[in-house]
Amino acid sequence: MTALLEPTLWALGMALLGAVVFALIGLVSGTDETATVAPLTLLVILLGVPPAGVFAFFMASIAAKHVTHAIPTTLLGIPGDTMAAPLLRDAQMLRELGVPHIALRKAISGGAMAALIAVPLAVLFAWIITPFSDAISAVAPWLFLAAAVLIAVLSKGRWGALIALVPFVLIIVGLQQFSSDILGKGLSISFFLGIATGPLIADLVLASTPAGRRSMARPGPRVFELAADVRTWSGRMPNPAKVLDRTQFWGTAGAAAVSSATFVFSPVAMTVMMGELFGGRIKNGYRKLTTLMAVKNGTTESTYIAETLIPLIAIGLPLSPMAAGPANPLFNAPPVFTIDTETGATHNLHDLLGPWQFLVFGLLAVIIALLITYPFAMTQAHRAASWIMRHVSHEAIIGAFAGLIAVICLYEGGIVAILVAVTVGLVGGLMNRLFAMHTGVQFMGYYVAALTVPAIGGLFS
Amino acid sequence: MEDRYLEVWGDTVDKRHLLISIILGVGISVPVYLIADWLFGMLADGAVGHSYALLVGLAGCIAAAVVAARLFKPKRIVEVGTEHTGSREAAMDAIEAEIGPLGDPDELPRAALAEVKELGLYDDLKAQHEKNRRTAVETGERA
Repeated sequence: MTALLEPTLWALGMALLGAVVFALIGLVSGTDETATVAPLTLLVILLGVPPAGVFAFFMASIAAKHVTHAIPTTLLGIPGDTMAAPLLRDAQMLRELGVPHIALRKAISGGAMAALIAVPLAVLFAWIITPFSDAISAVAPWLFLAAAVLIAVLSKGRWGALIALVPFVLIIVGLQQFSSDILGKGLSISFFLGIATGPLIADLVLASTPAGRRSMARPGPRVFELAADVRTWSGRMPNPAKVLDRTQFWGTAGAAAVSSATFVFSPVAMTVMMGELFGGRIKNGYRKLTTLMAVKNGTTESTYIAETLIPLIAIGLPLSPMAAGPANPLFNAPPVFTIDTETGATHNLHDLLGPWQFLVFGLLAVIIALLITYPFAMTQAHRAASWIMRHVSHEAIIGAFAGLIAVICLYEGGIVAILVAVTVGLVGGLMNRLFAMHTGVQFMGYYVAALTVPAIGGLFS
Repeated sequence: MEDRYLEVWGDTVDKRHLLISIILGVGISVPVYLIADWLFGMLADGAVGHSYALLVGLAGCIAAAVVAARLFKPKRIVEVGTEHTGSREAAMDAIEAEIGPLGDPDELPRAALAEVKELGLYDDLKAQHEKNRRTAVETGERA
C-alpha cells in the first residue's frame, strides 16, 4: 500500500507546485514554453524528485501555463507564448467586437476539454505503437536525422533552416569534444539551456553593439491596450462544458482526438490545420471566430500532450518537436535520466513508469492544474494581467534568467559549461533570427550531433 | 543623448536598467550558489549537496528578480479599453473584409443566439446584417 501511496503523494504535491508556478509564469506574456518549462523541470529532476513527481510536475505545468497564457493572448493581444500565435488574429477580432472575455472563455474551455481527452488517447496510441519500439530504437540515429530534416524543412526557415542545421550540428560536435577534453565528460544540460535561451542571448549580445542597439531602439515605453473588464456571468462559475455549444464541443473533441494520434508535426502547423478542418466551413462569422478559439486552443493543448506522451511511453527517445523542446529533460537529464549515445539505451521516465502510471498521474496532474487555473482565469484574468503588466518589469525577468543560466551551467560543468551555453545560445539565437531556424530544429540538431554523427562515423570506420 | 529604450526578447526595456538587472541576477545567484555548494559539500556527500546548492541558487535568482522588479518599473503603458467605443461598426466592417460576413444572428442555433444576446451583440450584428443586405440589393439593382 505504501508503495503506491508515496508516488501518489509526490505526484499530488509536485502537480500543485507546477500548477501554481506556471499559472503565474503563463501570465507573463511572451514567455517561451521551452525557455521556462525545460529549465524548471530539469531543476526538479536534478533535485531528486521521484519519477511520478517529475512527470506530474511537468504535466501540471504545461496544463496550467496553457490556461493562463490565454489571458495575455485574448485580453492584451500579445501571444502568451509561441504556440498561441495561430490564435492571435481570431482573438484580436473578438477583442475589436468588444467581447475579449468570450474569446478567453471559449479558448480555455476548449483547452481544458482537449487536455482531458488527450491524456487517455495519447496513452492509448502510445500503447498501440509500443510493440514496434525496439525496431524504432534500433534505427534511432537515423530517425533523429529524418526528424531533424523534416522539422527543419517544415519550419518557417524551410530549406535555409536545413542548410544552417549542418554547421550548427558541427559546432555542437566540436563543443562536445572541447568539453570532454577539459572536463573528462560531455555536457548536455548546458546545451539545452543555451538552445532554449538562445534568442535572449543573441538579443543581449546584439544590444551591446552600436549597430544592434540602433536596430533594437524603441522611441518609448510600449503601449498596451488592455480590454475592458466585462463579465457576463454573475455569481457561480460557468461550467466549461456549457461554455461551448454543440458544434464547438464536438469540433474541439474531434480536433483533440485527431491531434492526439500524431506526434511528429509542428504544433503550430497542426493548430492551423485543425482550425481549418473543424472551424473553416462555418459561414456565420461570429460562430466561426468563437469556434476557432475553442478548436485551435484545444489543438495546441492536445498536440502538446500527445507529442510528449507518445514518444515518452512508446519509445523513450525525444522524437517529436515537443519532446525535443520543453519536455526534453524528461528524456535526458544527466546524471539522473540518461540516453546512451552509443547504444541508444535509455534510463528515463520511459523505463521508470508504466503506461497506467502515465495515465493516472497524467490525468491527476491535468485535473489539479485545471481546478486551480480555470476558476482563476475566469474570475481574475483582468486583475492579474493588469498587475503583471504594471509591476513585473521585463528587466527583472531577464535578470533572473541570466542568473538561472549561470547557476545551472556552473552546476553541470563550471566555467566550461557557461562558455558552451553562451556559444550555443548565441549561434542558435542568431540562426533563429536570420534563418527562422527555431529552437525545436536546434534541439533535434543536438540529438543528430549526439547520436547520428557517431553512427555516420561508424559507417566509415 | 542616445535613446534609452530597446526591444529585447519581445518587450521594451531600459538599457541601463537591463544591465543592472543582469548584474543583480548573476551577482546574487552565483555567489549564493557557490557558497551553498561549499557548505553542503562539507556537510553532506557529493550529489545530494550539489542539488541542494542548486535549489539555493534558484532562490537567489528569484530574490534578484524581486529586487530588480522593485527597483525598476515596467516600461509599459497600459491603457484600459472602454467597453463601447462606438467603433464596433467599423470593427465589424474590417472583420467582414477579412473573414467574410458575420451573418444573420437569427440564423444562429439556440445556444449561440442566447450567447450573443447575453453579450449585447445581437442588435449590432442584426444591424450589420441588414446593412449588408441593403448594400447587396442596391448593387444588385444597379447591375
